[in-house]
Amino acid sequence: MNTIIETKDVYKTYGMNGISVEALRGVDLAVSAGEFVAIVGPSGSGKSSLLHLIGAMDHPTSGEVFFQGLNLSKLSDGQRTDLRAHEVGFVFQTFNLLPTMTVFENVEIALRLAGKKRAERLVRVTELLQLVGLGERFSHRPRHLSGGERQRVAIARALANHPSLLLADEPTGNLDTKIGGEILEFLRKVCDEDGQTFIMVTHDFRAASYADRVLVLRDGRVRGETRLQGKVDTQKVMSQLLEMEFLSSPQSN
Amino acid sequence: MLDIAIKNLGARKARSILCILAVLAGVFLVGTTISMNKWMYGMMTAELAKYMGKIYVQQGGSSYPPIDSSLNQETAEAILSRDDLGLDPAESAPLAFIRTERGMMPFIPAEVMVIGIPVGKETVLLGTLEAAEGLNRFDAGEPGEVAILGDKVAGKLGTSVGQTVTVNGHSVRVIGVLETSSMGSVDVAVLMPLEVAQRIFAREGQISSVLLTPNDVQKTAEIAAILRRDYPSLQIATEDDLLAEAEKVMRMPIVYMSSMGVTGLIVAMIVIMSTMFMAVEERTREFGTLRALGARRRMIIGTVLFEALALALVGGVPALGLVFLMTRVMETTSPDIAQLSQIVVLAALSAILGGAFPAWRAARVEPLEALRYE
Repeated sequence: MNTIIETKDVYKTYGMNGISVEALRGVDLAVSAGEFVAIVGPSGSGKSSLLHLIGAMDHPTSGEVFFQGLNLSKLSDGQRTDLRAHEVGFVFQTFNLLPTMTVFENVEIALRLAGKKRAERLVRVTELLQLVGLGERFSHRPRHLSGGERQRVAIARALANHPSLLLADEPTGNLDTKIGGEILEFLRKVCDEDGQTFIMVTHDFRAASYADRVLVLRDGRVRGETRLQGKVDTQKVMSQLLEMEFLSSPQSN
Repeated sequence: MLDIAIKNLGARKARSILCILAVLAGVFLVGTTISMNKWMYGMMTAELAKYMGKIYVQQGGSSYPPIDSSLNQETAEAILSRDDLGLDPAESAPLAFIRTERGMMPFIPAEVMVIGIPVGKETVLLGTLEAAEGLNRFDAGEPGEVAILGDKVAGKLGTSVGQTVTVNGHSVRVIGVLETSSMGSVDVAVLMPLEVAQRIFAREGQISSVLLTPNDVQKTAEIAAILRRDYPSLQIATEDDLLAEAEKVMRMPIVYMSSMGVTGLIVAMIVIMSTMFMAVEERTREFGTLRALGARRRMIIGTVLFEALALALVGGVPALGLVFLMTRVMETTSPDIAQLSQIVVLAALSAILGGAFPAWRAARVEPLEALRYE
């Protein structure tokens, strides 16, 4: 399988008020096309920092990040911007919809930024809103939608340009268990049906159990990984995480 | 991305409206000062146009009209009687300018002014100006205490021919009312025979200036040079000298007016800047999201600058209408197309300058802010 993402000995250090914090300490990682990878870890484990690097939003302090064989450190700001516009889809924990725009416009913006023509945009947005079950609500503003609906709009936006890589940072973090489950099932379906490569950062092992592979990050290092067999296996994820000392006991989460 | 800019302005209605009002006030100030400057300059040049090709002699004081000047009438007569200068005697005369009410500012004619002019020499001052009512000449036989009123004075006093006006305690009979002239000083003048004006104001033997008209206009500068040489204590001015002097005196009021206009623009710019700055600070996460989704920095700059420009134009265009209204009400000069364009360009420039820093701030937002801002 083609490798979409590869990181080689990646370090990331942040300097805050004269104190340097090592968020990542030599992360090696490879994600193949069509894979659904969940990166789990406690707060401060470096999982979000890793996602930023993979999504061409930040530079590593040392080491290299390759996107489809392209070394992201060697790209200019404009090239990285174009890469994000065409090749990467983002789903945020807080949805990040533009409040002054309608549902339709919020999805369309991704296509506009990728330079797609109006007619093409119209067809694609309509298709996506149908796909996420919001075909009737295209003219609503985000404030008139529930959390789950907002996240579905955000997913539609992230998928708009058929990205090579879909990234999500705690996509169910602001949703209740039921709605969160629906969202994850939808994302799982997109991966299964379209072969979408998907990397999700989460601290929720239930969310992680939807993935093909779960990577555990702790103190900026990959501490272990487990492969799931294409089905939601919460028990296996839990037991693996316990083994990797991510959970202190089954009750702690 | 202009639609994003417009939607953002709409989403912050109260703030946008306040900013637009501030811009409106600023642009109105600019427009008014530009039109006032134009009006003042127009008044001045129209006033001085009548001295085209003429020489103007005065002593002491540099004001125009030469109210502060005082010149011995004998000296004036000596100049007028010189044959070597090549003067046109019919178009040269001593004049007495006596202020009764002060004008708004230098070179803007007084509200009311008495001008004493020798009987038979009225055309030296009036040229071809006709009377709207009565006479535009004094009776050479027996002038007496009579006056010809300028158009504005007649209107102001509500006086017509045959009635009397009181000048320095004397009742003076009105024998004519002039048509509206292009010369502000004639419109506000009470024209009286020179000797009557001198007597009423106890200025016998004193005049304000001598107006000389050369037979050959080409020789104006030459004659002025001879007079300067022969009468070093007098001020000899040609049209150019007058214009230069007038411009010198007008410089301060024009600079003052202009500085008011510039202040208006700066205030508008600061208001735009603070409005846009607040908007950018509030929308950090939104800009971060756009950057994360693939918006280039120049697109973000364009969006913010367009918002600033929209605020300036929405405030600026009605301000131009108000400037027109104001100039109509004040009966001053309305701005022409060139000046309107100038005002619009200045408003747009203030918007771009005001929006530049917030736009730069917005463009510096990293895509990470989309994830970081809670």
